[in-house]
Amino acid sequence: MEDHGQAHREGRRLTSGPLAHLRSSPASHARPQVGRRAPALPVTLQEGRLPVAISTSTPPDGAPDAAPPAGSGSGAERQRRSTLLHRLDVRGAPYAFIAPFFVVFAAFSFYPLVYTSWISLHRVELSTLNLMEWVGFDNYTALWDDDRFWNALLNTFTIGVLSTVPQLLMALGLAHLLNYQLRGSTFFRVAALTPYATSVGAAALVFTMLFERDFGMINWMLSLVGIDNIDFENNKWAAQTAISTIVIWRWTGYNALLYLAAMQAIPRDRYEAAAIDGASRWQQFLKVTIPGIRSTIVFTIVLSTIGATQLFGEPLIFGQGPNGITGGADNQYQTLGLLLYEEGWKNYQMGRAATVAWAMFLLLIVLFVVQRVVKRVLARRA
Amino acid sequence: MTTDSIPVQTADAPPGTVQKKARKSTAPGGRSRQLFRHPGAGRQHHAGPVAYILLGIAALFSLFPLYWTMVAASTDNTRVTQTPPPFLPGPHLLENLGKAWQDAALGKAMLNSLIVAGVIALSTVLFATLAGFAFAKLRFKGRNILLMLVIGTMLVPPQLGVVPLFMMMTELGWGQQLPAVIFPTLVSAVGVFFMRQYLSEALPDELVEAGRVDGAHSLRIFWSIVLPIARPPMAVLFMITFVHAWNDFFWPFIVLDMSNPTVPVALTQLSAGYIRDQSLIMAGALLGTLPLLAMFIVFGRQIVGGIMQGAVKG
Amino acid sequence: MGKARRKLRTRAVAAISAVSALGLVVGCGSSDSGGTGGGKKDGKVTITMGLFGVMGFKETGLLDKYMKEHPNVVIKADVAGDEQTYYTALQTHLAAGSGLKDIQGIEIGRAKELSDTQKDKFVDLAGVAGTDHFLPWKQSQVTTADKKVIGLGTDIGPMAVCYRKDLFKQAGLPTDRDEVAKLWEGDWSKYVDAGKEFKQKSKDDKVAFMDSSSGLFNAMIYGNSQQFYDKDGELIYATNPVVKDAWKLASEAATSDLTAKLRQFQPGWDPGLANSTFASTVCPAWMLAHISEKAGPENKGKWDVAKAPKGANWGGAFLGVMEKSPVKKEAQDLVAWLTAPEQQAYLFKEIGNFPSSQTALGMPEVVDAKSDYFSGAPIGKIFSAAAQEIPDEQVLGRKDGTIKDIFSQGLTLIEAQNKSPNEAWKTTDKRIEKAAG
Repeated sequence: MEDHGQAHREGRRLTSGPLAHLRSSPASHARPQVGRRAPALPVTLQEGRLPVAISTSTPPDGAPDAAPPAGSGSGAERQRRSTLLHRLDVRGAPYAFIAPFFVVFAAFSFYPLVYTSWISLHRVELSTLNLMEWVGFDNYTALWDDDRFWNALLNTFTIGVLSTVPQLLMALGLAHLLNYQLRGSTFFRVAALTPYATSVGAAALVFTMLFERDFGMINWMLSLVGIDNIDFENNKWAAQTAISTIVIWRWTGYNALLYLAAMQAIPRDRYEAAAIDGASRWQQFLKVTIPGIRSTIVFTIVLSTIGATQLFGEPLIFGQGPNGITGGADNQYQTLGLLLYEEGWKNYQMGRAATVAWAMFLLLIVLFVVQRVVKRVLARRA
Repeated sequence: MTTDSIPVQTADAPPGTVQKKARKSTAPGGRSRQLFRHPGAGRQHHAGPVAYILLGIAALFSLFPLYWTMVAASTDNTRVTQTPPPFLPGPHLLENLGKAWQDAALGKAMLNSLIVAGVIALSTVLFATLAGFAFAKLRFKGRNILLMLVIGTMLVPPQLGVVPLFMMMTELGWGQQLPAVIFPTLVSAVGVFFMRQYLSEALPDELVEAGRVDGAHSLRIFWSIVLPIARPPMAVLFMITFVHAWNDFFWPFIVLDMSNPTVPVALTQLSAGYIRDQSLIMAGALLGTLPLLAMFIVFGRQIVGGIMQGAVKG
Repeated sequence: MGKARRKLRTRAVAAISAVSALGLVVGCGSSDSGGTGGGKKDGKVTITMGLFGVMGFKETGLLDKYMKEHPNVVIKADVAGDEQTYYTALQTHLAAGSGLKDIQGIEIGRAKELSDTQKDKFVDLAGVAGTDHFLPWKQSQVTTADKKVIGLGTDIGPMAVCYRKDLFKQAGLPTDRDEVAKLWEGDWSKYVDAGKEFKQKSKDDKVAFMDSSSGLFNAMIYGNSQQFYDKDGELIYATNPVVKDAWKLASEAATSDLTAKLRQFQPGWDPGLANSTFASTVCPAWMLAHISEKAGPENKGKWDVAKAPKGANWGGAFLGVMEKSPVKKEAQDLVAWLTAPEQQAYLFKEIGNFPSSQTALGMPEVVDAKSDYFSGAPIGKIFSAAAQEIPDEQVLGRKDGTIKDIFSQGLTLIEAQNKSPNEAWKTTDKRIEKAAG
């Protein structure tokens, strides 16, 4: 990293020169001082040359990048051309940057999405895909009247809460630990993501070993302290707790690494400032670390909520086979994701499965709206 | 769009977690409320023994299933499913690994998976960072709506898309070929959203402005300013996208076959027979996971350190 | 920006482009995308097969043997471990008309659906020479209404009762297999009575008489001509006396606490075998290998096989040839050979797949077959007898598998979740209507 010194020196100068006012500008209330954070600046910023104006509409004279080679025209013409290019860049580049996502999505995911919504209005089976019987919204009303749907909805919610809240909290703590200067840090980071990488078959075997009713390891340990065997599969809360455990095992490290990456962007001097103010390490964690990765925390909450709503891999790891797909003999741990899987890949009722998929979509929209409303109400109260 | 329009719930650590960290901070350094500076909670501090213990426990839980996969792969098949199950490795590890490699024709599958996962991860990270930067720091019309659209694409579960997607692949002539597995997943809404969140708080507006003032065009700003800052999340995003693409089973199984398999597809060859050779299957699973671990070691290093290290020494 | 950083970045870009290019080149191979992969070229014939776990052709070397005897033939077989995933892929390929192999395996649970909805995609194997050696009921399972035959039978799963001699002995029950068979001959309710006697007199109260009530239920259903559907495809499970009797008896076994509350092939069953938690189980021929392995060497000689009260069949598969195949004739020949009596007898000897060929049943490999693990039981004779008892015409239904699973679920409600048989029946009834209606 031999260029850090240079960048740092430049940064220092930036803070004491014309850009100094940026250090305490309101726009950067949570922003670090530009100087301390300066990474490698564009090649064009050479030592000694400082921008004199902070205007983005016209480039300064002689900006090497935008300027065409000398002699290709009068100075004014050059300015006009570079202004035009510049404007095109500022206006157009964002769209160019987001275009790849939308292009690929439009090409490959849009049609399947439309198809899924289309077949939700029909009665279609996989074996006879060409025979689509129009039923309009009947699938949706049938789903509304279906006990299995409400059961799955409730299960999704309970398992979701049981698994998401501890998971994200532990991930925060884990990330904090990983952020320390550690010996063998790479080992711990590899270990954090290993559950996510472990194959489903292996995970299924291990968790069966743990939770099996007659000879599983957990029941064996419980028997040592005199507790009867728990039938994890047939007892609703035991099953849901077991599944939550699998979810937590699988995803905590994943979220921890996301937080860890985000923590890298928090400048050290914020911690120092807090320390000077007498904050203990715990308070620093609360007042500096957590607010510093707020956007990422929001991201993991959104991601986990979506994941919890669509949950089906881990319940399947727990239940295994046709019994797992139904979420147990009494659907006691069937989530919406499993219900979708059951309708689509066990009963091969594609239309009904698509209906469940869109019901899950609507559920998330509802959650989002509720969240906005709650926030507004709380803001008004405050 | 500000972060406020995305569901915000700050995570409040419950008392239990507090205790954990409080204990840790009573390690070297102590904890007092006087006026002298406390060491910062973060990167520059050395981990105390309690931190190592906690991390060790976490590592134990994380690694145990993989460890057991190795134990199962090294024990003979009858012993594996007996109770109590074996916990120490047996003698057949290399033998089973070799047999699994051969029976599942893993050589070709590994190469294919490497290409597939590699291309998908690279392209996802690149496009996600580009788009994330645009959404986070560039101003353009429709930014909010388009971002909502991106997030919206995450909301519909993808499993049912398999059938129409397969028909599309048939039309395109990509049946049983790698592009069928690569192209549909070249971008990821999760990636875009993640990079956007990270860059919105990690990349100061002033830096982008400074670049503009110097006449840098957007791509140059991206290349010279954004990429270095974005290295940690890019590394993490690469790792998780790679794993996801590597382990993906359902769609590749439908569209590929043994003439051109990826690793999970190839491994199904091992589950044949009324008597499933569990130790062979586990050996295959182990082989399938090892390249991922290797990749973790390489990219895991990139998450921490790097650009910020120099700045710290100031 | 430092030189090193720039170099690293340039190298990274180069690497990315190289990998992407490589990916696209390797990926876009020259193979005929969408076709079956089979074909004739330069005098060599390539035949592709799509199989699932239990068929055993590849593992026992039969494919190699055929290739040796026919040097101009190359066979490429893809074996999927899990039949559920295999079938989903098969259906998707059928729907899109691409990705199929020349030969595809058909599991019995899927036979009806395929013969009802996809028969045009399969070659009619009715007139193929040398294929009239099958058990009549076997071929009826893949014969369509207009007498088209979409597959040739591979194995079947005739059922008997596997029991633990030592556990029977300590409960005062007979141990000799002929005597045991007599105990419940002709009537499954006698099997349950024996169970009650076992429970009463057994000295070890941790051991259950049978593993699962759903095993009993399935055994009772599978032997009959009409099961959940009638000939016209109407659901008759609620009124069919066969189903009602089976439900009554199975729930009685459950409520009388005669079972170990397990489900076959679900978590818990294997450890149950290993730890001897039940004394008997309904076992089709192909289950013997599984039992011997999971119960382990220490239980060798303790298990035995007795004739079941009534013959029944659980499982079995077929091989079909796809119309899309460019090598239909050659594929047909291969299928006919693989399902010929000699090969079926060979498979039985090697991996225990019970032949569906009447001729094979008469061959010495089958007639004289004995199982060391199961106390030298004459398994060839026992299972042959069970196979012959099955009625010639079996009425299958498209959702048989799903309905069977729902019934198993319902029985679990009684066994392990303390629901009453009435409640469980109501729930089961509702579920079946939703799934199959």
